[in-house]
Amino acid sequence: MRVEYINPFVESAFNVMREVLNVDVKRGELYLKSTSMPVMGVAAIVGLAGDVEGRVLFDMDRPTALKIASAMNGEDITTMDDLAKATITELANMITAQAVTKLHELGFRFDLTPPAIFTGDNMEVSNQDVEALIVPMETPQGKVEINVAIRERA
Amino acid sequence: MKTKEDFPSINERMPEGHRPDGTPFRILVVDDSMFVAKQITQILTSEGYDVVGQAADGLLGLERYKELYPNVDLVTMDITMPNMDGITALQKIIEFDKNARVIMISALGKQDLVKQALLTGAKNYIVKPLDRKKVLERISHVLSK
Repeated sequence: MRVEYINPFVESAFNVMREVLNVDVKRGELYLKSTSMPVMGVAAIVGLAGDVEGRVLFDMDRPTALKIASAMNGEDITTMDDLAKATITELANMITAQAVTKLHELGFRFDLTPPAIFTGDNMEVSNQDVEALIVPMETPQGKVEINVAIRERA
Repeated sequence: MKTKEDFPSINERMPEGHRPDGTPFRILVVDDSMFVAKQITQILTSEGYDVVGQAADGLLGLERYKELYPNVDLVTMDITMPNMDGITALQKIIEFDKNARVIMISALGKQDLVKQALLTGAKNYIVKPLDRKKVLERISHVLSK
């Protein structure tokens, strides 16, 4: 997978999280996975289809998701209820929208699916024929991994 | 003892959400995200606006506008929504009431759709993430015209 696909997601995740959480965000080392990998507990997924195809996953554990939802709503949210899910979905939405703007400027044309959210224990995600690049982002609320698996359409 | 009357009232100001006669402006919020709808509602009510309705898609938004009319002053309208998108809902609201004041709420990267909305008759737009100051400025500007 070409690294130019992931940079826009990393930059916009960094910008959006810093803005909506009003905190310092640190970027961890990028790594590559070609087999299945565990999902931490709460994952928002956005699909891409067009010149490039694949998906982007925003993965975090449940306490992190609750802390992020609490910070974004300015109130304490203790269960993964509809509001918490809507909040994490909206976070994924804003990050993806900003990244896609950058990719469109680079000349890539594709559409996005609305974000969907998965919650549960012992989940894993597998990609056939696409490598996934993962960028961990450290926030005071916890770690969020941006997991991008995109390829050019054959 | 000093009473309140002894102090000048320089710090008192009318909340932005009120008309000069003191009655609040009435807003309809159309958004499929519970989070965004709540965020907009909180920002508006904190400035004295009256959120008279919420709708979770364009079709419900259109129906709600017709029910509320003429007791609604402004609509905030998301663009990407199920059942009926925000641009179609905007178009239908304007067909129903050519003076409708609708502000689009958009994620970044929807410039073409925003342009289309403005050509269709939207009065302004706000790009997410929503910033309190930006939301209040755009809305009071549209209402002042």
